[in-house]
Amino acid sequence: MADVVAIEQAAKRPEGRARPPSGAALRRWSLRGATFVYLGLFILLPVVAILQHGFGDGLTNLKAALDTFGAKAAIRLTLEMAALTAIINGIFGTLLAYVLVRIRFPGRDLLSTVVDLPFAVPTLVAGVMLVALYGPSSTVGGWFEARGIHIIFAPLGILLALLFVTLPLVVRSVQPVLLELDPAEEEAARVLGAGRWTTFRRVMFPALRPAIAAGCLLAFARSLGEFGAIVIVSGNRVNDTLTAPVFISQLLQPGHYGSTGGPDPAAAVSAVLFGLAFVLVLVTEKLVSLGKERS
Amino acid sequence: MPRWFKRRILAAPLVLSLVGLAACSSSSASGAAGCSSASPAASPVVTLAAYSNPYTAYGKLISTWQSEWKDAHDGQLVQFLTSFGGSTTQAQSIINGLQADIYASSTAPDVQLVQDAGLITNDWENAEDGSTVQSGSVVFAVRPGNPKHIENWNDLTQPGLQILTPDPAQSGGARWNIVAAYGAAMRGQVPGYAKNNPADAQRLLEGIFKNVTVMDKSANDSLKNFEAGNGDVAITYDYQVATSQAAGGEEELVEPPSTVQIRTPTVVVDKNAEAHCVEDIANEFVKYLHSKEAQDIFASTAYTRPIDTAQAAKATDTLPAVKDLFTTDDIGGWDALVNDTVFGPNGAFTLAFQSAQG
Amino acid sequence: MSAPPSERVKPSPAGEEDLTRLRNADARRGRLVRGVMLAVALIYVSVLLLAPLAGIFIYALRSGLGTIGRTFSEPDVRHAFLLTFVIMAITVVVTTFFGVIVALVLARDRFPGKRLVSALVDLPLAVSPVVVGLMAVLLFGRGGWFEPFFASRGIQIMFALPAMILVTIFISIPFVIREVVPVLQELGMEEEQAAWTLGASRVQTFFRVTLRNIRWGLLYGIALSAARAIGEVGAVLIVSGTLTGKTETATLYILRAFDQYQDQQGYIVALTLATFSIVLLIGIETFKRRRTAEAD
Repeated sequence: MADVVAIEQAAKRPEGRARPPSGAALRRWSLRGATFVYLGLFILLPVVAILQHGFGDGLTNLKAALDTFGAKAAIRLTLEMAALTAIINGIFGTLLAYVLVRIRFPGRDLLSTVVDLPFAVPTLVAGVMLVALYGPSSTVGGWFEARGIHIIFAPLGILLALLFVTLPLVVRSVQPVLLELDPAEEEAARVLGAGRWTTFRRVMFPALRPAIAAGCLLAFARSLGEFGAIVIVSGNRVNDTLTAPVFISQLLQPGHYGSTGGPDPAAAVSAVLFGLAFVLVLVTEKLVSLGKERS
Repeated sequence: MPRWFKRRILAAPLVLSLVGLAACSSSSASGAAGCSSASPAASPVVTLAAYSNPYTAYGKLISTWQSEWKDAHDGQLVQFLTSFGGSTTQAQSIINGLQADIYASSTAPDVQLVQDAGLITNDWENAEDGSTVQSGSVVFAVRPGNPKHIENWNDLTQPGLQILTPDPAQSGGARWNIVAAYGAAMRGQVPGYAKNNPADAQRLLEGIFKNVTVMDKSANDSLKNFEAGNGDVAITYDYQVATSQAAGGEEELVEPPSTVQIRTPTVVVDKNAEAHCVEDIANEFVKYLHSKEAQDIFASTAYTRPIDTAQAAKATDTLPAVKDLFTTDDIGGWDALVNDTVFGPNGAFTLAFQSAQG
Repeated sequence: MSAPPSERVKPSPAGEEDLTRLRNADARRGRLVRGVMLAVALIYVSVLLLAPLAGIFIYALRSGLGTIGRTFSEPDVRHAFLLTFVIMAITVVVTTFFGVIVALVLARDRFPGKRLVSALVDLPLAVSPVVVGLMAVLLFGRGGWFEPFFASRGIQIMFALPAMILVTIFISIPFVIREVVPVLQELGMEEEQAAWTLGASRVQTFFRVTLRNIRWGLLYGIALSAARAIGEVGAVLIVSGTLTGKTETATLYILRAFDQYQDQQGYIVALTLATFSIVLLIGIETFKRRRTAEAD
């Protein structure tokens, strides 16, 4: 432990900077090499495989996939659900972030832990939980069914599953930015007579906007790909509850309604889906780094 | 030495052993260089890929057969690895490399897929019972009391009805359902639809599929969906409904006057069985499935009917009689049905589906 | 940013007592608003997150200790848990080892195309697990790019443990890297450089300084990665062949149990996974707090 203290003290001395021990170039390149090989093999290679199979014949595979029964409906449903999720959790996630940062109450730490629950729990188990609670044979679910409200095997169930899975994404996106906001600015506005809502709208919100947008985009991107929770909850009804990822798993079957089916059309749709999500994730990163630069 | 360094050192043997575990389990599944019949494996492993419904039945069949084999073969214990899923999904997996020695399919066309990929070389179509091991009929599952009065295929076309049936691309069961409707219409057993009239059969299918918004990935899922409260009627296997009723399901079973006899084939996947040196054992097991004992187990656990069509039309303990029970051979045979009359590019279902959804 | 408040809002011309009264009323309203916000937040979280968790406890425990005991004694269940654990352990080791290397390169190195590399690391977050399974099929399934190579050597990748591990690694790659890179960036290189002045070797510096400094971020990333690996279902469903007792993970077991009218077993295994996840969650929270505490 004495070494650590010595190191820390040495670090504070301006003349304590030095070159690394010899062999630096070799080490740098071996680290880089390991990085390239690891990422190349594990990420780049599979992506190239999908792109090659999906678009190797131009757009024919994509067309074949989109012409398949249920394709357009699945994509539309996925986009709708993802958008709804992003909006709803955008609102509630921001609210939760505000509550966690600005309001003191007993159990705040517990709430913070609970918000991270979806990060830890397998998505499939989340789906099972929702079925357990809202399935038609449960008390709660039965109560809803009796009033004609279908949750499980219905779009509402899918929405609940997606809200569950994406809530922490928004909260954790907004929270750090909120933490850095200086309450003094808001107090100043209040003292000068601005209403609560005006203060929020004109002082806090502009500062939070990139973070909220980032959180929403992340939630949207995540919802595009969600499978585990949905496969249990949705019943996979075309036009109603069949989402794109489940549809892709169906596309992998041969002989789909007389078309060839198989991996190539599935690859085409998959590439489009994850291409979209990837772009969103990148935009999110940019927003977050822009936000960091500002503060 | 810092804790962290120690941990890294400890991690290495852990990684090595886990990698070793992985390598062992993978190499044990790969093909052996050559089979020596002189010294058979002490505990051979047979892999069975089956469609989802007969899970309990195969469980019982396997354990019964295992003990009989053990007694007859000096205590040799045959291990079984089982996988259950949608029939076409399983076919796809086998084609993709799943090392199944036996494939229990729900339709002949799925077996054909595997045969076309070169993995099945035996003449299963002309084997005992045409390789069929389970038999049933296509029926309707309805709500208690049959509130929508569904008795025949034309009742399915009533406006506003919600029908559940699985996805033909993944589930063999879906194709049985479609073929049953087609066959009933072609045999003139459906009021309002002329005999031997493909256009009328297509009209019937169109009317039905206008009401279908549910396409689950397997017959099991379809029925479960129905039990969850969705839809007014599910088209499904009779023995599926019986299984569900035995598990406490409340749905009622309606047997249409004319319906197809479901015949599910179980076939040895020769290429894989040879590579694993279990070809003889696999053949013995499949042969066993046709025995009276096995058929009794199928009947008592999976509620299936006898294989012989005339016998199958009679009522069983759990299932009603069928007035007109026909087989796929009676309406042209699977090849014609899949490639031409029903699922072909101008087939009744293909066209009906396009206009129902268009 | 909008113009500062003082330029847009005119001060009110009220007197001292009025201001105080205004402030008090305002404070009361403030408390009310905050109270409402808190209540809404708590209700949302309870309905969305806590209630289903409670539901699973109730359903699983409702079957009684007898069924629970029987379920855990089933060899299929035990194998499923063991398989999940093995896959998770291998995944975590690989993604941690390489993750630290990649994080070091991303945080400290400069080379053309670094941004592409950084973006690549985020890619697995965007890919649906089903698509990951498809990728594996395209590479290792029949007709796949690598299939002839492995088949000729008698090595089974697809429908066996190796494919399951590979897909799980793919989806777990980002977590360690994303958590360690910002920590490394914040730390800078001062302490390492100081260690070098004092004569420490590169290896020593790495273990005693670098690793020690990133430990909470690293542990946080490892915990997230472990949780993700345990929960994987979409990709393994496609590549495993779901051979019960051989390639069936805990999550796949749950899927099949619900398919086969074995709901009780499904709930019990799901509850076990949920419990383990909660333990992991507590670990995650602890590591996260330590990391934030150290950063301040």
